[in-house]
Amino acid sequence: MKVTVCIGSSCHIKGSRPVVEKLQNLIAEENLGDRIELGGTFCMGKCQQGVCVTVDGNFFSVTPETVTSFFEKEMKAKV
Amino acid sequence: MNDLTCDIGYKSINHEGEQLCGDHVEVVEQEDGSTVIVLADGLGSGVKASILSTLTSKIISTMLAAGLSIEECVETIAATLPVCSVRGVAYSTFTIIRLIRNQTAELIQYDNPQVIMLRGGDNWEYPRTEVTIGGKKIFRSLIRLQEDDVFIAMSDGCPHAGIGMAYNFGWKREDIITFMEAMNLCGYTAKTLSTLLVDECNKLYGGKPGDDATACVVRVRRRVPMNLLFGPPSNRDDGDRMMNLFFAKEGKHIICGGTTSSIAAKWLNKPLRASLDFTDDIPPIAYLDGVDLVTEGVITVNRVVEYAKDYIGENTCYETWSNGKDGASRISRLLFEEATDISFFVGKAINPAHQNPDLPINFNIKMNLVKELSEALKKMGKRIKVSYF
Repeated sequence: MKVTVCIGSSCHIKGSRPVVEKLQNLIAEENLGDRIELGGTFCMGKCQQGVCVTVDGNFFSVTPETVTSFFEKEMKAKV
Repeated sequence: MNDLTCDIGYKSINHEGEQLCGDHVEVVEQEDGSTVIVLADGLGSGVKASILSTLTSKIISTMLAAGLSIEECVETIAATLPVCSVRGVAYSTFTIIRLIRNQTAELIQYDNPQVIMLRGGDNWEYPRTEVTIGGKKIFRSLIRLQEDDVFIAMSDGCPHAGIGMAYNFGWKREDIITFMEAMNLCGYTAKTLSTLLVDECNKLYGGKPGDDATACVVRVRRRVPMNLLFGPPSNRDDGDRMMNLFFAKEGKHIICGGTTSSIAAKWLNKPLRASLDFTDDIPPIAYLDGVDLVTEGVITVNRVVEYAKDYIGENTCYETWSNGKDGASRISRLLFEEATDISFFVGKAINPAHQNPDLPINFNIKMNLVKELSEALKKMGKRIKVSYF
């Protein structure tokens, strides 16, 4: 599974750093490091919906508050 | 003309308790590409010394830059300086470094500590001729410049550092030379070298300088071009033209901005790989074959502008950016330390996402950043060219 988080200006201000850190921690806790590839990208062109995240090409809008439920629902459950 | 250039930097600390510095450094550039640097040390400290040294350095630099002889300068100073009511003398020592078309250095020294010169990294005792002008003993030297020559001019506050505290007789010239030889190996800029020297003096004074101390450093180096791309063009069809011009340029290439680097990646037909290393509160950098550095845009550049402003002033942040791994530190090192001639390629496209009043970034801020950064870099003595797309 390939998960990409936008680290562009707009998403950075909206909290891409805490989102990335939380995802890194959750992946490590659940021992999913060999099954989920977490990467960064610059602007996806949907800045209004930031923080922009894609899971295998599907777009999601995530915030630092929703990142845990996002991980459970879209990543852990589907990997 | 040759392809050498001179990196000039200076810093002063004030006598304990004084708000004004009794030393003054004046740098004047002439139209023919020559530069006159005057370091003057006024008698005493505080406001009187400050007036004396400012007048001296201003008069000398203006007169020399206008093509008048050193004899006339000295006579003018002797006739103009206000006489101290306590001591009955008008007195300011001075060191002049005149860089003639980046080929020759003329040193004219009056009563300041002798200018230290490093050639090939080692101390070099250059020839001096003694002349007497208006009863004053003045030493003159003419030196043909070579790459990596370093000149260190000081006020007597530097060799006097630590008298009676750290050292019996102050910080000896030989020891200053050894210190600067070691620092010079690190490839620091003139500003950083002068800061390191003056900071060391401040330490030797125990943080309470007994005299104003000033160091002025000139580094002779080869010109290094650098190119920075910032923002997508306002007209989408201009992307290829902008990339053609940018990548045709000699020197390193820096790209700031997410969308901008995506355009470059498409033009180069190479993948853009963003890292996830948050070393600071600056967004991570990315990697793109054919580009030396790829960073995020406004937030990173905003930090670079902060570092640039600090650098031309107090230079207190150099320890942060000279080692940092984040995008802003990397850009700062490339622009402040490595580059001498910088071409900015600025795209004026408006990012709709940035026009949100809740966000601290918008189009005006972006254009302002470019303006502030290029002004600060000019003050560092760099040649700047800005093209808008």
